[in-house]
Amino acid sequence: MKQSGFYAKRIYPLVFMFLVTTVCILITSGIFLATEDRVRENELLFLRTAVLSAAGASLGTDTSQIASLYLSSVTENEGFYIVRVGSGPERYVIPFKGAGLWGEISLMVGFEADLTTLSGVAIVSQNETPGLGARIEEPWFTAQFAGKKGPFRIVEEGTADASDEVDAITGATRTSESFQNIMNRAASESRSIIRGL
Amino acid sequence: MAKGIVKKTFLAPLGKDNPVFVQVLGICSTLAVTNKLENTLVMTLGVMFTTALSSWTLSLMRSWIPSRIRMMVETLVIATYVILVDIALKAFYPEMWKQLGPYVGLIITNCIVMGRIEAFALQNKPGLSLIDGLASGLGYAYVLMIIAFFRELLGTGSLWGYPILGSWWTNWSIMIMPPGGFFMLAIFIWVVREVVLKEAKK
Amino acid sequence: MNEALFPVAVFFAAIFTNNILLTNYLGMCSFLSVSKELETSAGLGIAVTFVMAITTALNWLVYRFILVPFSLEYLRFIVFIIVIAAFVQLIEMIIERYSEGLYFSLGIFLPLITVNCAILGASLFMVIREYDFITTFFFGLGSGLGWLLAILAMAGIRMRLKTAKIPKGLEGAGISLVIAGFMAMAFMGFSGMITI
Repeated sequence: MKQSGFYAKRIYPLVFMFLVTTVCILITSGIFLATEDRVRENELLFLRTAVLSAAGASLGTDTSQIASLYLSSVTENEGFYIVRVGSGPERYVIPFKGAGLWGEISLMVGFEADLTTLSGVAIVSQNETPGLGARIEEPWFTAQFAGKKGPFRIVEEGTADASDEVDAITGATRTSESFQNIMNRAASESRSIIRGL
Repeated sequence: MAKGIVKKTFLAPLGKDNPVFVQVLGICSTLAVTNKLENTLVMTLGVMFTTALSSWTLSLMRSWIPSRIRMMVETLVIATYVILVDIALKAFYPEMWKQLGPYVGLIITNCIVMGRIEAFALQNKPGLSLIDGLASGLGYAYVLMIIAFFRELLGTGSLWGYPILGSWWTNWSIMIMPPGGFFMLAIFIWVVREVVLKEAKK
Repeated sequence: MNEALFPVAVFFAAIFTNNILLTNYLGMCSFLSVSKELETSAGLGIAVTFVMAITTALNWLVYRFILVPFSLEYLRFIVFIIVIAAFVQLIEMIIERYSEGLYFSLGIFLPLITVNCAILGASLFMVIREYDFITTFFFGLGSGLGWLLAILAMAGIRMRLKTAKIPKGLEGAGISLVIAGFMAMAFMGFSGMITI
């Protein structure tokens, strides 16, 4: 009787826990391995979409189209991408990173052939506050850089009208400032990165 | 299983035992994403899936679980289902996965999931627990969808990303910011308690 | 911004401008149920701060030195919650032994810390934002202090409201949410103040 009490109190919970843990880990590992390739594909696709949209290319939602469009129009160089969609103008896309409020903001910044006018910006990753800083992901925010030249000045949301002004995001002063800093660094370094000057 | 019990189990969490406006539980992980309808739908589906299936699983195991390590087993099962949701989103809906960020993982600590297991699944049969979990998730989902509806509509003038209100509408930016979530939920609870629950009492 | 000052910036941001409770809504359940009394709130707040600062750092170590080398990152939800649960259990035993008063006043809330979203949240945020160890520690500590500050302020306001006339339907959770909304607005006002 004593032995069974010991079993019920000490051994059984351990064995039970061990079994449950093993089953749980087996299930999750199985699912993880089954989807691993797909996840990797998604990441590649995401990066390619970012490069193309920074270059101002219009994208369909069909994933196979993005892959073929990317392969036919992008040349990968060390530190930047050269994009020419169809017979359109040649554009340059450079990846830039910088500290946001919470963590790193990672961008693809696209330039026209003059290397000063922006063709577009795409966000690769950011970790700002949802509803506040994370609103830099909203299309209107990134779209306002296209066709403008740096350096930029951020102004109160909804008031930008001069050619170097961009709307900040209300309630996310630090994120907007960080974004401005990264963009200004991009604008001043684009020539030296691409021409090697 | 009597049909009456099933019906009662299913309907209670939608109305008089609603986890959100009666018990005010489990709003932590989802309120943050209610500034968009789409995010809210995906998050609440995740919660529904987790609540239903972990209730069912733990109800199946209920007579074998040693009481001393009950919480650990519950957490483990919940975490497994949440990881499944996370991996599935990452593989099949990567844009949404990026937007939801850490909030999917926080379903683990959603009070409703653990609450339904402790209060219901451990005392009831698997089938009934599954229904209870599903209904609790549903009761949770529709409340948050209503909140998200108003937040997105008033805050951005659009629904599901499509502009609805047109250019005459001035966006109430406060609605998509954090304070808006608190105010909407408070207003919702107020209205429901004043109107619906008072009528039910009569 | 100076790189060396980044942890300090994160620390203050976590307390004020991006309070984990008021901007991410994490830890709402215990926040709403405990904030009726100032003393209990202080006790729970301190416990949360302590647990958060230490478990976030612990989870960083576990993530960096166990999960990443074996590429088991997808198991992080399970592993983090186990680390937190084990740590809370330990603290519970220590408090039970040495401070009976605190044990009885916090009583049922200590197990609730395990399922406090804010604590798991801090660990998940720290992974997604790829912080280094020092930043992680300051982030955990700051988030905990921010949570403490928010619950203290809330408890103080709610004690004053005890004698106030509140519409029937708003009593309890409703009015607390309205207060939390105003607090969130007030805390957003800090965002212009911190410029490092």
